[in-house]
Amino acid sequence: MSTPILKVDNLTVAAGDNRIIDGVSFEVGNSEIYGIYGESGAGKTTLGRALANWLPAGVEQTGGKVLFAGHDLRTTGANRVTIGRDIAYIGAKPQSALDPTVPVGPQIVEKLLMVQPGLTRTEAKQRVMDLLHEVRIASPEERFYDYPTKYSGGMMQRAMIVDALCADPAVLIADDIIRPLDVTVAAQIVSILKDLCLKRKMAVIFLASSLLALRLVAGKVGVMHEGRLIEEQPVETLLTAPKTEYTKTAISHVPRIWSSNEFPEDRGRADDKPLMEVREVSRTYKVRKRGTFGQFNHVKAVQGVSFDIMPRENFGIVGESGCGKSTLTRLLTWLEKPDSGDIRLGGTSLANFSGRELLDKRREFQLLLQDPYNSLPPRVTVGRMIEEGLRLRGTPKAEMREKVKEAMVSVGLPTSIYDDLPNALSTGERQRISIARALVLDPKLLILDETLSALDQGEQSKLIDLFAKLQETKDLTYVFISHDLAMVRKVCNRIGAMYFGKMVEIGDNKSIFFEPKHDYTKALLSAAPTLDEKPFDAGELGFEPIQ
Amino acid sequence: MSDVAQITPTAPVAAENEGQSTVTMRILKTAWRSKAFQFGFWIFVILVVTSLILPLVSPVSATKMAIREKFLPPLFMGEGWSWIHPLGTDQLGRDMLMRCMVGLRYSLMIGIITVVLMFIVGCGLGLLAGFKGKWWDTIIMRITDAQLSLPMIILAITILGISKPSVASIIVVLGLSGWPLYARVARSAAVTEREKEYVRGLRVVGAGDWRILLLYAAPNILPPIAFVAVLDIARMMIFESILGFLGLGIQPPTPSFGSIIADARKYLINAWWIATSPGVFLAVALTAINLMGASLEKARNTVYAGAR
Amino acid sequence: MIFVEFLIKRILQGLVIVAITSFVIFTLLRVIPGDPVRLIVGGMAPDNVVEEVAAKMGLRDPILVQYGRYMGNLVTGDMGQSYLRPKSGMIATGGEYVDPTKSDMAEVWDLILERVPLTLQLAATALVFALLVSLPIGIAGGLRSEGWPARIAFGIQSLFVSIPNFWLAIILILFLSVKWHLIPALGYKGFAYVILPAIVLAVEISPFIIRTLTTSLAEVMQSYFIDEAKVRGLPRRRIVFGHALRNASVPLINLLGIQLSTLIGGVLVVEYIFDYPGLGHLTVVSVVGRDFPVIQGIAITISAVFVFINILVDLVAYMIDPRVEL
Repeated sequence: MSTPILKVDNLTVAAGDNRIIDGVSFEVGNSEIYGIYGESGAGKTTLGRALANWLPAGVEQTGGKVLFAGHDLRTTGANRVTIGRDIAYIGAKPQSALDPTVPVGPQIVEKLLMVQPGLTRTEAKQRVMDLLHEVRIASPEERFYDYPTKYSGGMMQRAMIVDALCADPAVLIADDIIRPLDVTVAAQIVSILKDLCLKRKMAVIFLASSLLALRLVAGKVGVMHEGRLIEEQPVETLLTAPKTEYTKTAISHVPRIWSSNEFPEDRGRADDKPLMEVREVSRTYKVRKRGTFGQFNHVKAVQGVSFDIMPRENFGIVGESGCGKSTLTRLLTWLEKPDSGDIRLGGTSLANFSGRELLDKRREFQLLLQDPYNSLPPRVTVGRMIEEGLRLRGTPKAEMREKVKEAMVSVGLPTSIYDDLPNALSTGERQRISIARALVLDPKLLILDETLSALDQGEQSKLIDLFAKLQETKDLTYVFISHDLAMVRKVCNRIGAMYFGKMVEIGDNKSIFFEPKHDYTKALLSAAPTLDEKPFDAGELGFEPIQ
Repeated sequence: MSDVAQITPTAPVAAENEGQSTVTMRILKTAWRSKAFQFGFWIFVILVVTSLILPLVSPVSATKMAIREKFLPPLFMGEGWSWIHPLGTDQLGRDMLMRCMVGLRYSLMIGIITVVLMFIVGCGLGLLAGFKGKWWDTIIMRITDAQLSLPMIILAITILGISKPSVASIIVVLGLSGWPLYARVARSAAVTEREKEYVRGLRVVGAGDWRILLLYAAPNILPPIAFVAVLDIARMMIFESILGFLGLGIQPPTPSFGSIIADARKYLINAWWIATSPGVFLAVALTAINLMGASLEKARNTVYAGAR
Repeated sequence: MIFVEFLIKRILQGLVIVAITSFVIFTLLRVIPGDPVRLIVGGMAPDNVVEEVAAKMGLRDPILVQYGRYMGNLVTGDMGQSYLRPKSGMIATGGEYVDPTKSDMAEVWDLILERVPLTLQLAATALVFALLVSLPIGIAGGLRSEGWPARIAFGIQSLFVSIPNFWLAIILILFLSVKWHLIPALGYKGFAYVILPAIVLAVEISPFIIRTLTTSLAEVMQSYFIDEAKVRGLPRRRIVFGHALRNASVPLINLLGIQLSTLIGGVLVVEYIFDYPGLGHLTVVSVVGRDFPVIQGIAITISAVFVFINILVDLVAYMIDPRVEL
């Protein structure tokens, strides 16, 4: 390798007494993509910011150097190294990275003119326009004058790539740039970025918490843990022969979809009748079209979806953001009624119930919420929260308390927190409260709306075990609505994939994951962040991300 | 959350760190830590306590006239001052300190009752509009707009100028001017609250709009608005004094800041203190309230920024 | 298209608001005790004369009928005639019988139009003064939200908001005008007479501006795009003046719309104290004289101005920040 363009030498960064980066050293040369793997909290973001001489207030570089072409970033003047021109940075928050009150294009032009004062406005605009083409933003001439809020996450991240690359930097720092994106979008962005950087012979430091993404782009990868770089290897070697225990564990935690031949146990019986029948349901939202005197856009959030849910099965619904999952959830939980079609519970249409009858019927199907922090009102005690469903139905006090305590025990909550406020509880405990609240009603069907996605791996598997146990003891049926393919693979017997409001494919675990038929299912699976070999070849399907 | 964000000094203590203490308690604690709040608080306490107690125990009366003692200046200010009348006397020989104290009582009473009333009415209608939406929203917000478009002073002088002012009618008039802002704030908070995850949870369990609104949403929405209402107490006290000044406030002989100052205009050149001291007195009381209110508002913003 | 739809919608809404306001005022004036006819014809007039005049003026018809008639005339631009002011502009002296049904009374519309420019002049001057003081303080306070500029902003705001406007006016008149003869006050004989009342109004407005500006600017400065602008290579001056202030100005403009009625209220009081012949002065005098048509006319005018300015505020806010809903 020629002389490194960026050299990090024993870098130490601290906030007060707390060392965030502890003696990190590495080098990156031209045309090299250097990956750094680290979980959240490992110090990645601070490292990324230190490399751009952009530490937040209160955080200081206490030792070591960052050298750009031999110049120490901290001591050299801005005439030698310009942040934004020589070293560019892309972060994990594309949608809040630009001023929301100014169109995207002009902001990039503004930046370019600031870091390269010699350019004329026309030249700058031309260059930005060319790059917008290059990152495959559709019709950039119109998009140029759109405001940031009109851009989707993936588009905005592409615009930020343009923003970073327009001044032809020698070094690019990409900090977790795919974290906020859906898998299929992330895959596209990573490949675009890789092409552009190689073409420009740029040095890239690619910080990520996804080993899969690093495998797609990086040459050499450093593993960061608690502020230190604990090992450094070419990516394939790292994945096959990690040197440290930490890396080994990290690799083993990467979800597997295809490595195992086990399938979730089927608890169905031959004479089962469907518990819930969803028949051709559609839901269209009217969105007011502005400037048209009360005309509406019709957004077809769910279109003609049909499926059955059998007793004691785990039914999975997968898809990316915007595919109609949330609307379907609202329909299944009868918070909204379908425009057309029918949802039947135990053979009777839910539309036939109202008032008291509906309240009774509601006991049978309950929802488990997604966001543990907002799922509980902050000023209400745990016990009061769990008993709400019973209280509404006029259950006597003594019986209510009994049932609540029973439910708390069965979900693994200590009954001592009955009178506590939920403020101090962990995410796992909060989700258990949500489960207990449903359980006191003796439901038959539980609908889980991304209930596990906010939890860490350990807590997630504990809850999955809990669900299995409850299923056995209480004869429960689950619908898992999730974007987490690995979890669905592990838990669900049958799975439906949604795309643009339609259920494009329904099948059992094996057929969905190993013999997907619909192109979208294939695209979704091929972008799944796993390290194992895929049993089918999806290739470049070029699916339009949902916006 | 990444490592940097957690140590950035601008990101305040995360919500979980303070265990069982509620948001309200944390706001109060944060405010209490600021000097401005304590300063305002103690001035306020001293003023309130003395204005409640002094007129009861002191032999000097706020309304008793003593023509021989008229136009006495405040302490150390020119001829004839006395310890009995630290702020001097007015054109009828009434003690200025006592008049200010009694004026403050009425002013505070009217200010607080008005704010409580307009808080209840405004927030009630705002919650309704925001939570129920649809035509509730349209009708309530249209009335709110209309009310806002009619300046309080016009309404006040129309109502009070033509009918006879009383404490009750003054409170009603002041309250009319203030409720629309509460309605707007409460409405937008309710719109946000309605979309929160826990509301969805309650709906699935079977709870209806009213139940969710009253038992769960309102206790969340109202406290942060209540903190800012403290500032409005001061505003209403100013409005009350303006009404008094225009002759539309509490009627003599009961002293009120506004009417004292209005009467004193005639003696401005020879007996400047009659107009000045009630103004200073009122301004000090208002500054105390405003310091508390503004500190509470700041503390609220800090705590909520941290919770986000 | 968006603009046209917005304008049509808001003007229609505005008409509804003005209609509600005028109805409220109209009803209030007729429900509240105090017969204007008695005032017009004089205390000594026999009852039958009172009734005769009242009937002639239509004041004994049902309120809705009166309101309908009034609105009918309003649409044609006719706000009626003052009960008390003859065309010459002089108030009729007490006791002297003036027939209010005759056409020698001043048109309300003319009375208002005559005074609007003076009030606008005062309000505009006050706003300029207020901005001159509060912009620097507010911006400094917002940029250094932990340091002494923020403390100064906090102090000034808490102090200014605590000073009753009428009292400040009296003190300023006493010292600057009466004792030291620096600036004229009372009445209106030229622009110099605007300065003192404008200062009083500016003291009343500026705490709101300072408070909103410090809060919103401090909040914008915390946002991620401001932070990221540094690493994108924008100089600080550009970040603050090109982006942070732009974002922080939206709440400020909205504030103007919301606090407008407070501002108008302040104008009335200050005009009254300074004997400044604007709308506020006219209002106070008309209420004292129970000059119903004038009070109604002013209320409608003010609520129309309020509606108009709020439409303007929303348009400007939208132009700065397209996320604002029109």
